[in-house]
Amino acid sequence: MEIDPTEHEIADLGPKIKDVDDADELREMLAAEEDGEDRVPVKTLIEDRLETVEGEDEEVDPGDADLDDMTVADVANMVRDVEDIAVLEDLLEREKAGQDRKTAKSQIEGRIDTLRDSDDDEDEEVVIEDPEEKYPDLDHPTADKKHVRALEDGDYRDMWVYCETQQGQLIDVSREMLGKARELMDGYNDEYGESESVIAVLIGDGVGELAEECIAYGADRVIYLEDERLDRFRHTPYTRIFCDMARNGGHPFGREDRAEDDWRDYDEPRYTVFPATNNGRDLSALAQAEFDSGLASDCSDLFIEPADISNPAKTGKPGETVEFQRVLHMKRPDFSGFEYSTILCLDKPGREFHPQGASVIPGSFDVPDPDPEREGEVIEHEMPLDDDWFKVEVTDYDQLEGGVDLTGNEVVVALGRGIGSDPTEGIELGLDLVDQFEEADLGLSRGVITASYQFAGHVEQYVTEERQIGESGQEVEPAVYIAAGISGAVQHKVGMDESDTIIAINTDADADIVDFSDYFIQGDLFEILPELTDSLENGELDIQALAGGASDD
Amino acid sequence: MTDDYEHYEAVVVGAGPGGAAAAATLAQNGVETLVLERGVESGSKNVSGGLIYAEESAPYTIDGLFPNFRTEASERPVTEYYLHNVAGRKVKTIDLTDLHEHDTMWSDAVLRRHMDSWLEDRVHEVTRETGGGLLTGVRVDGLLREAGEIVGVTCEELDPIKADAIIAADGVNSELARDAGLMDWEDPEEWFQGVKAIVDMPEGAVAERFGVADDEGVAHLFSGDLFEGVRGGGFLYTNDDSLSIGTVFHLDSLVAEEAEPHELLDALLTHPLLDQWLQGEYEELEYGAKLVPDSKKAAHPSPHRGRLMLVGDAAGQMQAQGPIIKGMNHAVSAGALAAEAFSEAQTRDRPAEAGQRYETKLRDEGVMKKLRPTPYKIASAVGENDAVASMTDSLVDSSLGKLGIKAADRLGLLGRSFNSPFVMSVMPDTRTPYVTAPTAIAEALGTPVRAENDVEPPDLADRIGDLTYDVGDPHIELQDNSYEASGAAVAACPVSAKDFGGGCYRDETVKTNGHEEHLVSLDTQPCVECGTCAIVADTEWEHPAGGKGVEFKQG
Repeated sequence: MEIDPTEHEIADLGPKIKDVDDADELREMLAAEEDGEDRVPVKTLIEDRLETVEGEDEEVDPGDADLDDMTVADVANMVRDVEDIAVLEDLLEREKAGQDRKTAKSQIEGRIDTLRDSDDDEDEEVVIEDPEEKYPDLDHPTADKKHVRALEDGDYRDMWVYCETQQGQLIDVSREMLGKARELMDGYNDEYGESESVIAVLIGDGVGELAEECIAYGADRVIYLEDERLDRFRHTPYTRIFCDMARNGGHPFGREDRAEDDWRDYDEPRYTVFPATNNGRDLSALAQAEFDSGLASDCSDLFIEPADISNPAKTGKPGETVEFQRVLHMKRPDFSGFEYSTILCLDKPGREFHPQGASVIPGSFDVPDPDPEREGEVIEHEMPLDDDWFKVEVTDYDQLEGGVDLTGNEVVVALGRGIGSDPTEGIELGLDLVDQFEEADLGLSRGVITASYQFAGHVEQYVTEERQIGESGQEVEPAVYIAAGISGAVQHKVGMDESDTIIAINTDADADIVDFSDYFIQGDLFEILPELTDSLENGELDIQALAGGASDD
Repeated sequence: MTDDYEHYEAVVVGAGPGGAAAAATLAQNGVETLVLERGVESGSKNVSGGLIYAEESAPYTIDGLFPNFRTEASERPVTEYYLHNVAGRKVKTIDLTDLHEHDTMWSDAVLRRHMDSWLEDRVHEVTRETGGGLLTGVRVDGLLREAGEIVGVTCEELDPIKADAIIAADGVNSELARDAGLMDWEDPEEWFQGVKAIVDMPEGAVAERFGVADDEGVAHLFSGDLFEGVRGGGFLYTNDDSLSIGTVFHLDSLVAEEAEPHELLDALLTHPLLDQWLQGEYEELEYGAKLVPDSKKAAHPSPHRGRLMLVGDAAGQMQAQGPIIKGMNHAVSAGALAAEAFSEAQTRDRPAEAGQRYETKLRDEGVMKKLRPTPYKIASAVGENDAVASMTDSLVDSSLGKLGIKAADRLGLLGRSFNSPFVMSVMPDTRTPYVTAPTAIAEALGTPVRAENDVEPPDLADRIGDLTYDVGDPHIELQDNSYEASGAAVAACPVSAKDFGGGCYRDETVKTNGHEEHLVSLDTQPCVECGTCAIVADTEWEHPAGGKGVEFKQG
């Protein structure tokens, strides 16, 4: 023994001991220290050096190494170089059968974990502990959940858009979603070098004929199923059909006899998008629950981007930030629109959350210009429809009044507070004039609707806010707009200014409306309106002759 | 479920100067403060005459609380102050700069949209630091109570919010003050109504036409016979590149005379005296209106209840010191004092004492004394007695009175008494100081104005049309639509007029079953939310939802 540790302070010993390469000599030093001052830091120092030296010169074959003969440090050094999990597992078994040292076992297990992780193309093995075991003190309301239908290692592709129809037509939000889906997937394919598609889904009675329209609005493929029993939306059949379409043949939770689609090689959609309408909300919730994924409801924006996530529940790696790819960001208004949150639907270790699903508030996106030249594939989906699904019968339904739509008329006859001296007769005269035209209707100024006028029963039905023209009502641009007894406040003007020809009838030649009318008739509408009606009836109307006032163009 | 409501240490309702002062002071004291403002932006709901004062005797000033206020948020300082007594074309001008400068550190003209939105940014910053913040577009519509105690506020847009202190700085039409039963909208005598036009000035015109440098400005007041005998007066303040020209009248007098506020404003705008400043050009940027509480009568001496404290207009804290009207400065003081009071009470772990501490501070700091001067109580008892008033009127109007005026002027007494803060604060609310005396002064001493003023202010329909509205659901409900109950609103409402169908209130004659009824109908679309009709008509009056209703761009 060249160096007697008992003769040295630990500070001197550190540099000196580095030069000792002989394990036996180190053991001798260790023994000397133990017999002498038995200082713990000194022993650690020597042991450390011993481990280093032994690791260097002993090339132990882990396959037949005698663990009983090895210190924990030896074991640690040995396993560091082992790449074969089977060998490690064998070592672990032998350690358990032998000294069963906890520290040794953890060294071997740690190495196994590392290797497993890199096998999974991930860096580290994550120990998934049941939350019920991890937090025994908390309630676990979902602990007895019976169905976990998420896939393991599923293949997901494409963006599926549920296109809702009403009365045989696509509703606007369906077009809006298709346009947005097109934009998103074009960007996605560029970004990731993929060629994934927009899939439109149509379910209903006679919906197949809308397939071409879906393609024109941006779909690459349209999958439809039509059946006369599907004329109205019902939970069960619509959900069953949507899910059957989405799950490819051979799906562990799908219909057993479902054939595999020849046009695809994936299990489920990557993304699903539904309208946030009454029916769309129902379907989206049920379908996404069946897929055992999540749903961001009532979204106002969507985009696809990578996301840096540091939540260990998702990454499995506490303290690390992991970039998730191809994440659908689903932005939705919170607190009545005072704040927005962006919802992400991310897989987590041991559990996949796909499809990433959203429902979209109608009007959030623009209706795209349809491209009738666009080409796409139309696929009729075939599946048996179980009678049981139609147990709920729609016995009656009512079409809500669509309201009065004044746009699209050739002529609009609008009445203002000039009718005040006899409001009922004023409405009657207006209606008489309306009757002289093929496509015409009655409009009212806000001043009439908010007045305290009493109307006789037969005209009262016409005095509703639906007929209001102006800033807070409808905006119309008919070929001819006849404004009787309307002064022409700015708020009214914005509702009718674009009309081709504006004819104003007013007792006041200074009324604002005169400034933006083509023809102005000064006079009492109670006299002028019947005159107009009569002349039209007799086929002798000459607007030029009647027009007595100034015009601006 | 009430336990789930969000809780803040303090909630401030309204982000005008009072609310801003309160919120900033709370935040400086480390109080977690949430500020709720119903406009799309602070200032979008606010109109003021347009002068803010910093008083030497005040406990707080706005630039003390918000450094750089004067350089960034206000317009020109008022460095000259005149009162014009008008009788026809005759005008006698009295320099009131001394009165104006009494106890005044500085006084600036302001435009409220610009000023309040600037304050909003500062308040947002400081309140965020203590865990709170500021939300716009949220209308607080009432008090949240538990077991009869006020514990928070309810909002139209959000769930109720609980707080240990609620500072209501929600303005002259404070719904919280009324919910708490502290203020009411009953008596027209307690109120003034102001209408104002913001008039564009070409670049450099203010300096040239008013003879002021860039860092100077002028205030002109007008009284006399140009307002059809309605008690009140007019004002003109110079902003950076515009003018604030308006009129303020006692509401009871407006109602009694059935006067149209917009016509009275036009009477001022078209008076020959204004030609020197308008010079034939007139571009109106905005028409606005507001109720002004008369603090002598309306200021609540004990403006708190439970956790609720009222500041500014909400508590009637608007001081009319003769021709000089001070409101915003008192709101600033009151807001900061209320915040101080809560912070002190909270530190002592007795937050319930905040209200009483606030009341004491208002008194000790002299704010309440300015708002409700004791001598006025005595003077009004005599001066507002009808018999005495008409005697004073006829005396002033008589040749004897006029002789007296001339003598007084020669002796320099006239200017001196107008410049006495004491005389001005005890002036009774009769025709004498507003109409009779100024008219008599002008007739006796005035010089005729020879210029012609041919500007044409826009008509009411265009004024309404030029305002920005986001029409929501009707926020005012007519409880009684008979002309007797609510007809006064047709004239008094600043956006309504007789024989005008485009306003809020329209009188209508309706024939039913052979007999005629004189009714009033209401359309809240053009409403400028001044609150006049809440007092003069039979209504259920609320503010529009957050972000809805009129949006002032100037204010």
